[in-house]
Amino acid sequence: MSGIIIIVLLGLVGCVFLVLLFAWSAYNGLVGLRNRYQNAYAQIDVQLKRRYDLIPNLVETAKGYLKHERGTLEAVIAARNAASTAAARVAQNPGDATSMQALAGAEASLTGSLGRLFALAEAYPDLKANTTMMALMEELTSTENKVSFARQSYNDSVMGYNNKREMFPSNLIAGAFNFGAAELFAVEKTEERQAVKVQF
Amino acid sequence: MDFFARQERARRSTKRLIAYFALAVLSITLLLFVVVSFGLQFMADAQHESNRRRGYRAHGLQAEAPAGTKALFRADVFAWVTLGSLALIGIGSLWRLNELRAGGSSVATMLGGQALSANTRDPDERKLLNVVEEMAIASGVPVPQVFLIPDESINAFAAGYQSSDAVVGVTRGCMRLLNREELQAVIAHEFSHILNGDMRLNLRLIAWIFGIMGLALVGRMLLYARSGNRKDYLPLLGLALIILGWVGVFFGRLIQSAVSRQREFLADASAVQFTRNPHGLANALKKIGGLAAGSQVSSPQASEVSHMFFANGLKSSFLTPFATHPPLAARIRALDPDWDGQFAATHRPAPEPPTAKSAAGRLPPLVGSLPGVVLAGGASGFLSAADGPTPVTLHYAAGWRAALPAAVEEAAREPFGAEAVLFGLLLSRDAVVRQRQLAELTRVAGEPIVTETLRLLPAVAALAARARLPLVDLALPTLRELSEPQYQLFSAALQKLIEADQQIDLFEYTLQRVVRRHLATQYDGARRPVAQHYALKPLLPDCAAVLKLLAHIGAAQPAAAEAAWRAGWASLGSAPPPLHAPAGDDLIAFDTALARLDLAAPPLKQIILTAAAHTVGADGEIKEQEAELLRALADTLDCPIPPFVSLSEV
Repeated sequence: MSGIIIIVLLGLVGCVFLVLLFAWSAYNGLVGLRNRYQNAYAQIDVQLKRRYDLIPNLVETAKGYLKHERGTLEAVIAARNAASTAAARVAQNPGDATSMQALAGAEASLTGSLGRLFALAEAYPDLKANTTMMALMEELTSTENKVSFARQSYNDSVMGYNNKREMFPSNLIAGAFNFGAAELFAVEKTEERQAVKVQF
Repeated sequence: MDFFARQERARRSTKRLIAYFALAVLSITLLLFVVVSFGLQFMADAQHESNRRRGYRAHGLQAEAPAGTKALFRADVFAWVTLGSLALIGIGSLWRLNELRAGGSSVATMLGGQALSANTRDPDERKLLNVVEEMAIASGVPVPQVFLIPDESINAFAAGYQSSDAVVGVTRGCMRLLNREELQAVIAHEFSHILNGDMRLNLRLIAWIFGIMGLALVGRMLLYARSGNRKDYLPLLGLALIILGWVGVFFGRLIQSAVSRQREFLADASAVQFTRNPHGLANALKKIGGLAAGSQVSSPQASEVSHMFFANGLKSSFLTPFATHPPLAARIRALDPDWDGQFAATHRPAPEPPTAKSAAGRLPPLVGSLPGVVLAGGASGFLSAADGPTPVTLHYAAGWRAALPAAVEEAAREPFGAEAVLFGLLLSRDAVVRQRQLAELTRVAGEPIVTETLRLLPAVAALAARARLPLVDLALPTLRELSEPQYQLFSAALQKLIEADQQIDLFEYTLQRVVRRHLATQYDGARRPVAQHYALKPLLPDCAAVLKLLAHIGAAQPAAAEAAWRAGWASLGSAPPPLHAPAGDDLIAFDTALARLDLAAPPLKQIILTAAAHTVGADGEIKEQEAELLRALADTLDCPIPPFVSLSEV
């Protein structure tokens, strides 16, 4: 009879052990995926910062030519500052829904005002021919491509994390240890799904 | 090759470990058996007591039962306890092994490490990444990913199964408090673990030790768990498990110290051999001594990996006789016999000016084409040089990096740019083919990446052939940041670019092989190859395919090819079969052969690589194509070869 008791006891200990191992596995898996999307955001952050650094130069160069279009230029700077602040806030907590949506909105309005600036610049051939302006435009296009690429990577990582977080049985561990949902970096309006086209 | 001898030594120590491990399992089983027996005895006595108190007379035998049962029960209790503990240990070990399947990065994340991004602007991080890059290029391995452990102490580790999944982890204190020379010494020490094949054993050791320390480790995790809901029960359960698991911990420490203690002296010696500078390492160790936090790593899981650290990562306790590292003073004295035994207080070093971008001084320029490298000492000279980085190759790597155009270097450090660089390396010089390639690329990968590729193309196309493979090494860790769908697209695009000209040239072949091999474990979930062939004879046809291509590539005339062929076969210790004329499918045969040779046991790989080296070195000169093929071969066999640097460049 004692043999049965031993088997039962060992079975119980074994089960507890297995459950603990599984929980540990799931926890580590979630941590790993969370790290991955946070690192992916860091890559976006680098490119966004580069973009924000380019814009004041662009505005300075254009100022000399667009003397009567101060409103447009100021709108660009304002949008850039707003986006920069939003990006800084997201960097502290990547994946947080509210700050992420705020950033997406700020980016959308920045792209909008930049688009208006470029449309305006069409009418000024001197500005178009300016070499500094051309170099800056090219940098800007390149940077926007990089933002787009990094954003894709981030969104893929966020999806991987959210999936693991929601699927059974790891959702039990996610709930127990407060693993929050991560937010995708969405593109808001359809018109700026196209990169800002530099067409002269 | 000393490198292989060291690997052999690492493998032999495994046998001793198995003995210790068996002893550990036995002890745990006995302990559990004793506990269970006493428990059962206690229960039986209590039962007997309560029977007697109730006063009913049971079976006649029951009066004598206590004495009798003591003897009888031993056998099957023992059997069940043995089975149970073997099962627990087995499950624990297998589970841990599965957790570690991602290789080095799983160890780094376990310790709370954050991956360093290649395009960081922080000067300390940049300095660390530069040192690691130079060491990797000088050794001929892809640049490993670097992780930062958030501790203010000074410590480092290298982990992984192969160079594909190797990572280097460094504490923040190490990054901030060591100057470049000391940092280079520490990284050289870690690279010696990568090159000696220690890493694989280390990872397996984590799994084994987890099996026997399993109960204690799970207990400790429960103690540290912060769930917020069930604070009351978990720590108590944890404490109980820790007490039960103490025997396992004892043996775990014993095994770890047996493995790593002696090896650390050897790793120190290797680091000095690579850099020819004992002072860097000695100063780094002295700084550890002068720091209050020393080399202590605070993560609760540090004890599992303590055998992998650069210096002792655990607090000193009553288990110190089983320390995983020799005492600091002994290590310092081995490097610097004149040391006065005093530790000065450690503080941040003065910031050093970053190495300026310049035309590379005494190194040949990286643009244009270079003549073949002349080997001093023929094949044996090359083989002895291929033992790991040397000050020559380190200097070459630093110069290579300084001479690399800034735009290309910057691009290689971010995922988008890294893709563009690799595409640029594959674009043909023939205008027609190039048009076709660009059209295909636009179709598969989209316009933005094509624009970026064309932007970088002038700089990339101007690079000398010999400068291209190190660029691939540099770009590889950045490509690990791609998401899974992005990698699949990238891989498909590479394939299309190579197929566009309907023939494969050697560089394309090598590039694709290196990229696939090193990213496969992360993305395709490829399992590491397990050695299947232990005898050379069945592999001779594959050796023939390999040697044939090598012999023809390097030879201007058939006579030279014949001589090279004979040299290779002489090294294999076999009579050479007839050498056929070069055929169109030679490269494909080479590729198929490599796939099979990858499954050979390590001693065989050594023989094959040596034979290849003899074939290539028979004419006393290594040409670029030979170098590229040798690199593909060495990469597949996971035996890194440093870049070829001729004496005239030193």
